[in-house]
Amino acid sequence: MKRVTKVVSSDSRVGVYICHCGGNISDHVDVNAVCEKISNLDGVRTAKTNSFMCSDPGQEMIIEDLRSGEIDRVVVASCAPSLHEATFRNALSRAGVNPYLYEHANIREQVSWVHHGEAATLKAERLIAAAVAKARLLKPLDPIRIEAKRHATIIGGGIAGLKAAKDLSSRGIEVVLIEKSPFLGGWTAMLDTLAPTGEKAADLVSSLAREVLEHPLVTIHSCSQVTGFEGSVGSFRLEVQKGPSDSGVPPVKDRGIFIPFRGYLPEEDEQPCKAFVVETGVIVIATGFKPYHPKNGEYGFAEFEEVVTLPRFIRMLAERDAGEGPLSIGGKEIKNIAMIHCVGSRHIPGIHEEDESGKLNEHCSRNCCSATLHAARLVRDRFPGTHVFEFYRDIRTYGRFQEDLYSKASESNVIFLRFEPESPPVVSRNPRADGSSLKVAVNDTLTFGERVEVPADLVVLSVGMQPSDVSDLIEMMKLPVGADGFLQEIHPKLRPVELSVAGIVLAGTCQAPMDTGEASAAGSAAAVKASAILAKGYVELDPFIAEVDLEKCRGNGECVKACLRQGALYLKDFDLHGEKVRKAQVDPVLCTGCGACVAVCPENAVDIRGWTISQYEAMVEAIARES
Amino acid sequence: MNAEKSTMQIFKFDAIVIGGGIAGLQSSLDLADQGFKVAVVERDATIGGKMIRLSKVFPTLDCSSCITTPKMAAAAHHENITIFTFCELESIERNTDNHFVVRITQKPRYVDQDKCIGCRKCEYVCPIYLPDSEQGGFSARKAIYVPFSNAVPQIALRDPENCLLCGKCEKVCPTRAVDFFQEPEEFIVESRAAILATGFEMMPLEKNVQYGSGQIPDVITALQMERLLAPHGPYNRVLRPSDGMEPESVAFIQCAGSRDKSLGLSYCSRVCCMYSIKQAMLLSGALPLADITVYYMDIRAYGKGYEQFFQNSAAMGVQFVKGKVAFLNGSDGGKVKLRYESQEKDGGVQTAEHDLVVLSLGLLPGWNPDGKCGVSPASDGFISTVLPKSAPALTDMEGLFVAGAASGPKDIVDTIVEAGAAAMEASNYLGRTGRS
Amino acid sequence: MLATQKAGKILILATESCAYPGANAVGQAHSSYPENVFILRTRAPVLFPERFYIECFEKGISGIIIMSCGVECPYHGAYEVLARRIDRVFEMMRKRGLDPTRLRLTAICTVCTRAFLKEVQQMNEIVTKLGPPAAERTDTPPAEAS
Ligand SMILES: Cc1cc2nc3c(=O)[nH]c(=O)nc-3n(C[C@H](O)[C@H](O)[C@H](O)COP(=O)(O)OP(=O)(O)OC[C@H]3O[C@@H](n4cnc5c(N)ncnc54)[C@H](O)[C@@H]3O)c2cc1C
Ligand SMILES: Cc1cc2nc3c(=O)[nH]c(=O)nc-3n(C[C@H](O)[C@H](O)[C@H](O)COP(=O)(O)OP(=O)(O)OC[C@H]3O[C@@H](n4cnc5c(N)ncnc54)[C@H](O)[C@@H]3O)c2cc1C
Repeated sequence: MKRVTKVVSSDSRVGVYICHCGGNISDHVDVNAVCEKISNLDGVRTAKTNSFMCSDPGQEMIIEDLRSGEIDRVVVASCAPSLHEATFRNALSRAGVNPYLYEHANIREQVSWVHHGEAATLKAERLIAAAVAKARLLKPLDPIRIEAKRHATIIGGGIAGLKAAKDLSSRGIEVVLIEKSPFLGGWTAMLDTLAPTGEKAADLVSSLAREVLEHPLVTIHSCSQVTGFEGSVGSFRLEVQKGPSDSGVPPVKDRGIFIPFRGYLPEEDEQPCKAFVVETGVIVIATGFKPYHPKNGEYGFAEFEEVVTLPRFIRMLAERDAGEGPLSIGGKEIKNIAMIHCVGSRHIPGIHEEDESGKLNEHCSRNCCSATLHAARLVRDRFPGTHVFEFYRDIRTYGRFQEDLYSKASESNVIFLRFEPESPPVVSRNPRADGSSLKVAVNDTLTFGERVEVPADLVVLSVGMQPSDVSDLIEMMKLPVGADGFLQEIHPKLRPVELSVAGIVLAGTCQAPMDTGEASAAGSAAAVKASAILAKGYVELDPFIAEVDLEKCRGNGECVKACLRQGALYLKDFDLHGEKVRKAQVDPVLCTGCGACVAVCPENAVDIRGWTISQYEAMVEAIARES
Repeated sequence: MNAEKSTMQIFKFDAIVIGGGIAGLQSSLDLADQGFKVAVVERDATIGGKMIRLSKVFPTLDCSSCITTPKMAAAAHHENITIFTFCELESIERNTDNHFVVRITQKPRYVDQDKCIGCRKCEYVCPIYLPDSEQGGFSARKAIYVPFSNAVPQIALRDPENCLLCGKCEKVCPTRAVDFFQEPEEFIVESRAAILATGFEMMPLEKNVQYGSGQIPDVITALQMERLLAPHGPYNRVLRPSDGMEPESVAFIQCAGSRDKSLGLSYCSRVCCMYSIKQAMLLSGALPLADITVYYMDIRAYGKGYEQFFQNSAAMGVQFVKGKVAFLNGSDGGKVKLRYESQEKDGGVQTAEHDLVVLSLGLLPGWNPDGKCGVSPASDGFISTVLPKSAPALTDMEGLFVAGAASGPKDIVDTIVEAGAAAMEASNYLGRTGRS
Repeated sequence: MLATQKAGKILILATESCAYPGANAVGQAHSSYPENVFILRTRAPVLFPERFYIECFEKGISGIIIMSCGVECPYHGAYEVLARRIDRVFEMMRKRGLDPTRLRLTAICTVCTRAFLKEVQQMNEIVTKLGPPAAERTDTPPAEAS
């Protein structure tokens, strides 16, 4: 009486295989009784049991029935699908049948292990009947395959970009590197020796740049910027504009040269200004950071010439002759240096002032503690007559061998003063004619809040890191940005270098502050993802994506509006029987198969392949039915 | 055993990954996705490392299992990855072809891996109850058991030290998988590249005299706290282990062994500030009325989103006290007494009492290559890297790379990125040395 | 026969990345729960249109729990859309005289075994109290204009 009329192709022939799981199921579920009942269901050609369906004999049973043509689709009722769904799909493939003509019934974790007695048997039967109902409606599916050009484009030629270029070219992938400035090396080239290892930044940049420049698979375009973007993973198309070089350095031939505090200048292009197109399979974004620029008057910046930023100070120290004599500024000896941490970092709403665009840098910039301690130590080593005072909130020497910098700085008599964000140090003119032109006053929490005044001939601001301005790329490529302004990965742990736009990966400090070692690692991690995408020459994606029934679709565009992934669904004009019609189309590369479109279509014209609404309806009917 | 040597089984792979924690899994996935054949060797009975044992993870507070299990499953099902669990690494050497020859011992589970279906019938009939180290020792396990519900593989193992050989498990096993006579078995993996992903261990509490050598009730390790906070933890809620009371005040002690030469570790263990803040936040959700205090030297919230996470916890009412805790004592009132040198207000030596104290013990290397492999550890005991700025995965042994906490304490994000980098270096090495 | 004396059937729509493995973890722990609970695996419950829920009740399902991943949803923005849709379903249920407590939207993680059991227990109490949905409906809905 309750027989439901079916929209099923009557020729689907389901084979059902029920597992005893060596008593795990059969101790609680009357497997034979269930088998008997299920074999009477519409569409079921055969129902069998086995003590271990996952065993070779169990799988052979399925393969034989498929090969003989008795059945054309399979339901296995056994343990959780996470354990053996793949096993059984595989068995279908081996029998030469599409692996998606398979449905799983979970009667161990969700039946025999949680229910007992007759109730368990009845529930197992219902779940299998539901699986059969779905199986009858299954269609063969094929994974989506997208051709991918074995070519990668890297935007940004800092350490992260160079490292990614080196790695990808070593894998035999053609690489184009696009750098905005005339130089390679990014901010690393603006440093002298690196904390905590002490190695020369110039050597690091030069050796990496040379390796990349010498690789036959790499083409470098300096003074260049991306001006146009289209396409998707496997086949992107970038428009690039190369401008004139403003390096101020005469053009170089051969391998290029390293210019201190500028970067590595590659060999000049014959044709300086041009626009060109790059066709590429993946894009690596490595656009880096920019140091925080203090506001006028912030700790006396731009007010007193003795107040400088850390990058400026690093350069001052490096360019100072190795010769004898004390450290000096404007001919005057520097007896005391005050270094103030967290300038432009760790802002707290309500305490710190926003900039013109209403932005606060709430993040920690990660590098400044080590870089500051490193500079302090250099001063103490080279100019023992110069005293160093560090004003800090927390010393964050988190990384390997960084803590040594901290303890060595203390040992070399660097004096530490700790302040609370509410009462930062105050830099002012020193009224006393006793020497230092400035003084820095602070409530030092290390001496229990005592007001301390430190004389200073030079004040160094440890400025933080901000993302470099890539609003054009963000706009063009629809790149996600986090609350901190840095580019935002899909998931910090599951997919830390991938962006929600498939085929675009992130490398280095455009994602978050990092030191050079971490930026190198990030460059390699981005490269390995890119390499995996390009390894086969094609990308294979899950077949479970949206599909539009063009017969039913009336092109009202509801699905396009509901789509959570811009571009995955769009309306397209068709010529149908000589008539111009507008219907929804799915971009298989962009569609994630979430189904947000399915729910809103008034014509029920959209479905997710392999998970259709009618399959669910059939399952619910089977479950609701009394046995 | 000697006679068997010549017949020892040899498996060949492009690369071998030592350690199946998140670093090892990510490295092997990144290699396998490029088409390389990879062997993963794990000492433990399950892959997943520390991460699968955590409650939730900073700074996103997502459930750790939910982000570890997909990677475990992806590795377990990958056509290019073969996982060997419960295996001890004997040695890694290079042969004349410049290939790595890795000698491995399959430790006996006393359960046939090919037959066991993970149904745990043996576990239910086993009459022995033992403290479950996977639950911080706070609940019981049996002498034959599957490590935990999301372990991979789901295969039982018998604990021979505590088993009474009653034979119940053998009788009940539907696949006759229990085998009391299993012997250790040696085999060899040959590969052209190798990645060390041997992770870290937490300093044993027993060694920490200052903090009571593990003798003071309700002084627990941070890993134990992870279990108390886990949704599938040993108790229904966060209770103090000694008497099952809901703690009204909980203290987290930072740098308990780190940044302190007198305790052996001069380095910073890098993750403790953040996991303590995380635990404090989770705790304030679980016990809204409890006072939660973090004793610290410097709060090192350096990663992406970490500072904001720290500021949120302070806004939620977690107390931060700058001071170095010098000593812990039990007290008659069932509280833990704490003496610390305050660096706040009036300073000086102060005392405080808490119901439960959680120690951020220092992190130690998970493996010592001494006598097993020619790679060098650095002064901190972790694997030395030779180009930390330009190629952080490179060790001083050609073709051998390092990833994750094996080269120093590291959070999950940095571990995963480094694991990708190690896979990249290994792929390039495989390419250079001529892959078919 | 037997089934009619029991509480009506409860349908759980469980996400394949969070709640479905969570339900399996309950199984692994051998914690039992009422057997009138049937779990269907979904990629993302944002798939189901409003009418799907109503039709489930019409087919005789007494209660539905959507066990999503909550904010950990792998499909960006889907959870928010789902939550808004469920509000509309509640509205439709009220109009049809269906007690809205028969439908619940929750988030369950891969190891949230206790939360799972609690949700199931609560829904079971609700459907036991309310009886089958057919008994409750005051009138048949206005013919679906299709
Ligand atoms: C004061 C200071 C001291 C430091 N000290 C140390 C230290 O001692 N040790 C250490 O390890 N690290 C140190 N660092 C950190 C180090 O500078 C960074 O880790 C490193 O520079 C990051 O490299 P990157 O490639 O990610 O970014 P960057 O160096 O910023 O390079 C990015 C590159 O991308 C280019 N670019 C930007 N936008 C575009 C675009 N739209 N199109 C094309 N190209 C573009 C830029 O011109 C640049 O060349 C310090 C940083 C600072 C600020
Ligand atoms: C209490 C605590 C809480 C934490 N919370 C967080 C958090 O919330 N967020 C976060 O980002 N990080 C957190 N961490 C850090 C996190 O645990 C590590 O980042 C991560 O586990 C490192 O992964 P790994 O694979 O390098 O090492 P491990 O997880 O240690 O894995 C190493 C693996 O190698 C195996 N192994 C070791 N030696 C051998 C050998 N010789 N042969 C074979 N196998 C071997 C081990 O058995 C293990 O499975 C926390 C750490 C602790 C201690």
